[in-house]
Amino acid sequence: MKGRTFETYVRTVLEGGAREAQRSGSATIEAEHLLLAIAAGPENASRELLRSAGLDHETIRDALRREFEQSLRTVGVSVTDRSLLSPREAAVRPSRMGRSAKLVFERGMAAAHGKNDARPEHLLLGVLELRYGTVPRTLELAGVDTAALKERARRSLSGESA
Amino acid sequence: MTGVEVPASQDPTDQLAAVVALRRLADQLEDVAVERAMRAGWNWLDVAEALGVTRQAVHKKHAKRLIANGVELRRRRK
Repeated sequence: MKGRTFETYVRTVLEGGAREAQRSGSATIEAEHLLLAIAAGPENASRELLRSAGLDHETIRDALRREFEQSLRTVGVSVTDRSLLSPREAAVRPSRMGRSAKLVFERGMAAAHGKNDARPEHLLLGVLELRYGTVPRTLELAGVDTAALKERARRSLSGESA
Repeated sequence: MTGVEVPASQDPTDQLAAVVALRRLADQLEDVAVERAMRAGWNWLDVAEALGVTRQAVHKKHAKRLIANGVELRRRRK
């Protein structure tokens, strides 16, 4: 029963992630799309944990935009035509996960003891286990203490209050 | 240009992130530029030549989105 609930949750996050990916013009579902989907997803521990770190769908989207601009600036590129910074929606909704999203699942599931033990917090842990790329840079830019958030997620999994 | 010039970072973490961001910027610029060209009456062959790719590649990448955006596409030139 528990495993089944998690499966439903994963499906919801993947569907949400696919929508986010399409909106951002991406051909694949990436880790940042999963993070947005978790933040906008069903009310549960993962969403609460994000909220406790000051992250909701809107703040994450805003931080992603800033990370994009900042990464361009680090090599001296500044875009004056603001419209170029916002993506064009893709015509097709992606169904494939990109490398970063696959890493989220790999690392999240590695923290669970088998499929039946998996809970929404494991998926969030998978996101927080990313070391490089758009998501960790975005979280840093948003002022999130990733280590502390990970610790709260683990405590939530072990049944202690976060 | 006025304003403060930001020195380019020498940190590989920053540079690798910039690669990702530049690819995305190039993709978004391509979407805008191709749509603008097609609205201005360009054909696929000319857009493909300007981008240095095949007609098939540019068509596959952009046709659906342009049709969805209501861009009138010209027939292939014989």
